[in-house]
Amino acid sequence: MKDLARSVHAASAALLLVLAGCGGGGGGGTTTTPPPVATNPPVAKAEAFRFLNQASFGATEAEATRLISLGDNTNSYTRWVDAEVAKPVSTLLPTVEAAYPNPLPMGFNLASLNAPRVEKWFDNTLKGPDQLRQRVAWALSQVFVVSQIGALQNLPNATADFYDMLARDALGDFRKLLEEVTLHPAMGVYLSMLGNQKAIAGTNLRPDENYAREVMQLMAIGLVELNIDGSTKRDASNQPISTYNQDIIEGFARVFTGWRWACPTTTPTCTFANTRPQPQPLPGYNQIKPMQFYAEQHETGTKRVLSYTGAALTTIPANQTGAKDLQDALDNIFNHPNVGPFISKQLIQKLVTSNPSPAYVQRAAEKFNNDGNGKRGNLEAVVRAILLDTEARNAPAGTATTTAGKVKEPLLRLTQFWRAYGGKSNGTGGVVKLGAAVNFAGGVTAVFGQGPSQSPSVFNFFSPFYAPPGEIADQNLVSPELQLATEYLNTQVTNFFWQQPQLYTQVQAAGATFNADRMFITTTDELAIAADSETLINRVAEKLLGGTGQMSATLKTEAKAQIDRTPVPATNPTAALTTRVTDAIYFIAISPEFALQR
Amino acid sequence: MDRNRRKFLRAAAAGGVAYAFGRTPGTVYAQVAGTGGFADYKALVCLFQFGGNDSWNMVVPTSAAEYNAYSASRGGAIGVGSGLAIPQASLLPLNSMTPDPNGATYGIHPSMAGMQTLFNNGKAAVMANVGPLIKPTTKTQYRTAGWDLPPQLFSHNDQQDQWHSLRGKLPSKTGWGGRVADVLASQTGSQQLALNVSLAGQTFFQAGAVAAPYVMGATGPVQFQGFGTTGIGLARRNAFDAIASGSYGTVYERGFASVQKRASQFADRVSAAVAAGRNFAALPNAGVALSPLAQQLRTVAKLIDQRASLQMSRQIFFVSTGGFDTHDDLFADQPGLLGNISASVASFYDALTEIGMDNSATLFTHSDFGRTLTSNGDGSDHAWGGVQLVVGGAVRGRNIYGRYPSLTINGPDDVGGGRLIPSISSDQYAATLASWFGVQDADLPKVAPSIGNFTTRNLGFLG
Repeated sequence: MKDLARSVHAASAALLLVLAGCGGGGGGGTTTTPPPVATNPPVAKAEAFRFLNQASFGATEAEATRLISLGDNTNSYTRWVDAEVAKPVSTLLPTVEAAYPNPLPMGFNLASLNAPRVEKWFDNTLKGPDQLRQRVAWALSQVFVVSQIGALQNLPNATADFYDMLARDALGDFRKLLEEVTLHPAMGVYLSMLGNQKAIAGTNLRPDENYAREVMQLMAIGLVELNIDGSTKRDASNQPISTYNQDIIEGFARVFTGWRWACPTTTPTCTFANTRPQPQPLPGYNQIKPMQFYAEQHETGTKRVLSYTGAALTTIPANQTGAKDLQDALDNIFNHPNVGPFISKQLIQKLVTSNPSPAYVQRAAEKFNNDGNGKRGNLEAVVRAILLDTEARNAPAGTATTTAGKVKEPLLRLTQFWRAYGGKSNGTGGVVKLGAAVNFAGGVTAVFGQGPSQSPSVFNFFSPFYAPPGEIADQNLVSPELQLATEYLNTQVTNFFWQQPQLYTQVQAAGATFNADRMFITTTDELAIAADSETLINRVAEKLLGGTGQMSATLKTEAKAQIDRTPVPATNPTAALTTRVTDAIYFIAISPEFALQR
Repeated sequence: MDRNRRKFLRAAAAGGVAYAFGRTPGTVYAQVAGTGGFADYKALVCLFQFGGNDSWNMVVPTSAAEYNAYSASRGGAIGVGSGLAIPQASLLPLNSMTPDPNGATYGIHPSMAGMQTLFNNGKAAVMANVGPLIKPTTKTQYRTAGWDLPPQLFSHNDQQDQWHSLRGKLPSKTGWGGRVADVLASQTGSQQLALNVSLAGQTFFQAGAVAAPYVMGATGPVQFQGFGTTGIGLARRNAFDAIASGSYGTVYERGFASVQKRASQFADRVSAAVAAGRNFAALPNAGVALSPLAQQLRTVAKLIDQRASLQMSRQIFFVSTGGFDTHDDLFADQPGLLGNISASVASFYDALTEIGMDNSATLFTHSDFGRTLTSNGDGSDHAWGGVQLVVGGAVRGRNIYGRYPSLTINGPDDVGGGRLIPSISSDQYAATLASWFGVQDADLPKVAPSIGNFTTRNLGFLG
């Protein structure tokens, strides 16, 4: 990777806007008429919110109502997932390609095309139908990390296509995903497998170890041997057992030699030395084509690979083709016993809970190892197992009540908020417009610590092992998302949730300050009931938390009292009502309850 | 009650820290009123070079035999074929006051004129070959099965963690900066802000068992909108604090709430301190484009200037800059990376001299690891020992500490591909810094757990 900067200075980014197709709806009720002969109760609203916060970019009342209407609490979730799996993939690339100027002006800033990429990401996550697929793709994008920050800055098409590939494969075959990731030029550039050359005897030149190391450490097996339940195996002296050593890294580094930009169809005589990326989105352009193999730069000798019980081979024979070397090497990684628990646990942590029980990890990992039909690496089966597991669906009991769930990723607090409040801009055709210059100078990452394909390094926005000092570390728990909960970023996010309801709602949309680059929310429901603080705070809690019962007594008491500090005058009440609505939305949105994903 | 007044959490007696719901212990710890405080002020500034600095190109031998070995290992001149060597004539001479016994001489990367000046003026020192070790290690020992080595050598996050935590093979939840805060807690209890401050995000380095760091942006904290000191704005702040102090059922809500609470407690006063800080000629508020690193250091200098307003006597600051993972494009990227370090640190030193604090602050560098001497075409890969820099008026500068290694491939220090075994350990480096900072000798093993395995506990570059 080019850039391990931990500081978050996102380049261009941009942001936002959108329009949520759901949320917003009118009155309070979400009552559903139960099916006539139902013996099981329907899904409760708060539980529907819990599920939708795990499986989508944020629960809304409209989607909760739809989920509840699908059946009862034994089958609604499955039916919802069934429908999601069948939905077509929402993509980013066509939007980026369409934004590409033709002809290209001299000195055009290619990095600026990351803005439409991020806009489209918000469009898809706020309004797109394939919520589950996109949510899993977002999780995978934090395992298979590429970032516009660094070497990909001027390759926005490759960056967009990489994300689309994750979305296409999100509920598919992990082995296929692993291969597509390996050969995608975005990853090739980011972790420098693209252009990796063979050693030259008698010189100091040897293959690049970057991708070889990180594909094992971060994307498939991790550093130490795992049990099926995700716990660390230990040797006789109680030390963890490394999954590989430097020799094996060098073996894979040698496998991954000889790959570079695909040859454009117009120049059929490429060599490793002369192939170049095509920036223009021509038909079949190589920025989005898998890397091509060039035999002249491939290591032809034997290569050490991973050794484990059941490994088909531990040394790749000499003089195979580059393609065969690659297949053997990826099979060798894919069949390592760590992959199931390693990937399953990370998906659980991204979707459901930071601290799953070992039994939960095991159930998901076993599904990874065998989907029930003898297939290994079926991600749809793994995602189903994760979301429909008793630990994800049943209310936690006993000591688990204090560790169930997770802190929401800051960006998912934002998407849930906008989905619930009908966030939209005045962009043409309802398309999300980035408020690069308005909402988020410096980019969404500068405010929320996260943005699509904007990680500071291949190590993602936060570590899966992060534990803040105090009770979480002391109990050997983790809370990865709290790595972003610094005083600095929390204050910025808190201020965002102050500005949004105060300044940027439908009220201003009709006025002179409207800016097409700005995201607006709809608060007309709240304004209509704002004179009654109890009704108002309850309404916001229903929208954002899935019920008034999710508020702590402190939150409700303090927020309600604050609302009442702005009396409503008999004449010209608009300003007072706006302040009351602002306080209500603000205090729920910045509450620990809303930061928690139950 | 004045909600702007800081409240000190009371840590229970040794071993029994009580956790109130909604709070992580931290930020500030037990206050032992009036006893053992520091009369003077000292600051440590950790500059982390993320990605693994290719530091064998930063401080390079200039004497003929040693340079030739370097150049051969790096494959000849950088920018030519797979070569990575900085041309001999372009290196800026370092006039070390202690001549090398073998007559070797050294120079610094041509983009680092500011650092050269600091070194030659006695304000900077070079750590020749430092990295994580559990005990002194030779090449033979390295290859001996069962020899104690830091786990997962050459891996970014693991080696960053080693630098941060010095944990060796032990499990650890804390970094050495955090542990310094822990052991100095009774002497710094009246400080109005956490001893550890990061301007570059959450870092393991500053996590203590009791003490938690305070994190601000490159130009300081952000202030809360909608808060005020009177009327409804004050009421809103009070409501915010009450919610952040509430009782919550999950560790996640409590962890989140504790950050919200700290943010609200400190935003105004720390922002005021930064705003009151001097407009340094060397790091001006306006008119000069500063790199993100220079902006961080400017804010550090302002807080040092305003130390009295927050009653600070000891502070550890964390700043960082990235982009050092030069698997590719070393030729194109390294001058900018090193030039930024040199210019930013030199300006920081100059800023401290403007306020007479140059002897009170010591800046030191960390990085994931050194890099391979060998080339992968146009860059280098992950390795182990490397060069680090220490800057400040208290530094016994114009010296190279530790043994500069043989740069010969398969030489006595090379474990393969030009990955060099450190000759001094990160523990020795940290212990020396901590001793200067005020940690008692008896407490050094708490800060640097492996220090007992090394004969030299203090490398002597400070004092």
